[in-house]
Amino acid sequence: MKRRRVLFIRLSQFRIFLRKLLVTLVVISAFGLVILSKADNAHLNKTEDIVSRVLNPVIRIIQLPADGLYYVYEKIRDVARVYADNKVLRYAKDQRDDLEQKLQALKSENELLSQMLYYTPPAEADFVTAKVVASEGDGFVHSLIVYIGSAMSVKKGQVVLHKQGVVGRIDAIHGAYARVLLISDINSKIPVIIERTRAKGILSGNNTAVLNLLYTAPKADIVIGDKILTSGVGGLFPSGLAVGYVSAVSPSSIEITPLEPIETIEYVKIVNYGAYDDIFEKGGD
Amino acid sequence: MKESFAELAANQLKKFIPFFVTLFLVLIDFVPTHLPLSHFLRPDLALICVYFWLLYRLDLFGVVSTLLLGLVVDSLSGVPLGTNICVFMLVYLLTMMISSYVNTKPFMISWLVFALIALAAFLFKWILFCVYYRVFLTLPNILTTYLVTVLIYPLIARLNMALQNRYLKTSEDIDE
Repeated sequence: MKRRRVLFIRLSQFRIFLRKLLVTLVVISAFGLVILSKADNAHLNKTEDIVSRVLNPVIRIIQLPADGLYYVYEKIRDVARVYADNKVLRYAKDQRDDLEQKLQALKSENELLSQMLYYTPPAEADFVTAKVVASEGDGFVHSLIVYIGSAMSVKKGQVVLHKQGVVGRIDAIHGAYARVLLISDINSKIPVIIERTRAKGILSGNNTAVLNLLYTAPKADIVIGDKILTSGVGGLFPSGLAVGYVSAVSPSSIEITPLEPIETIEYVKIVNYGAYDDIFEKGGD
Repeated sequence: MKESFAELAANQLKKFIPFFVTLFLVLIDFVPTHLPLSHFLRPDLALICVYFWLLYRLDLFGVVSTLLLGLVVDSLSGVPLGTNICVFMLVYLLTMMISSYVNTKPFMISWLVFALIALAAFLFKWILFCVYYRVFLTLPNILTTYLVTVLIYPLIARLNMALQNRYLKTSEDIDE
């Protein structure tokens, strides 16, 4: 009887030892994974790819009721603002008619000047419209997961646009889904210019709703409301795409607000500018 | 009385309820609602569930579940693989330290302890990210997520508690 009791205690102690060993191994492995992630390990990318391929379709199914609720919310909001919108649209139409006439004149002038310069226009870009199925926007990461289906033309590094401008770039592709690194993410750095003054800088995300404009000339003429465009430097983003506008200027920082709030993004346009594909193909995933 | 095969299978499946409920809530956390500020006011539901199940049902939600959940969150959010596993393991170790004390205490105490453990988890994650990216991440946004997480804890805990009482009650609990 006594011997059996000793054996029982030893077994329970062995179990505790095993649990402690497992916890220690998991903790060490977790830190090891973080260090390996820094080296962009192919096996880790494969693990991430498998998990994403399995779970992203599930998120898409879960999203359906949320979409229904949002549809109802949007309808109510639409009715509430239809009169105000109508007034704005009437004014915009008058202005557009005026601008159209001026545009026609400029177009003719541009054609004439282009012929004189032997100017070669850039190739037409093609695009894929993708639905946002998941989003992450806490203080640690800002990304979206979009459904691209069987669109083979979508590749890592391609520009992602919303209605008014750039929202990010393709960071990874997992089967029918792609992860978009948003411009507000800490890892996003985009060469930009101020539309009004052509002053250059780097637009940097910081995992908040407001972005920072870095590396501008010390005496650059930047005022609140200035529009920010991609500069095309580096070749990843083509030049002239709208990104945001200056919302605050202080001696220590320049804050940029994106053109549209990230939470309102339902669909995005993934644009293939062709000429930029080889950057990531050479650099590797 | 001997259990039938169906009963046996159902009892075995019930053991996975904590993991799959947590996984479901994690996936819900990723669903975009498109409502104003919703992108920035997202609670960390995984953290709440990890703490809750580790505290009350360690027999059904252990190290392996914590590891798998960390892997899922890391893969879906696109953060460096291993970061959330590290954070969840910290929660595991802290919860183990206090579980015998908190387990029998009123709900308010477990909520308060969660607030402290979540604070440690968020700060640890923040340090991990700062070291990894070699940048100083802005704290207000992270603290907002922390506050939302702590505030929503009672709701998620009540949901988990209801599930536990409905499906995971042991014979000892029923006797009591």
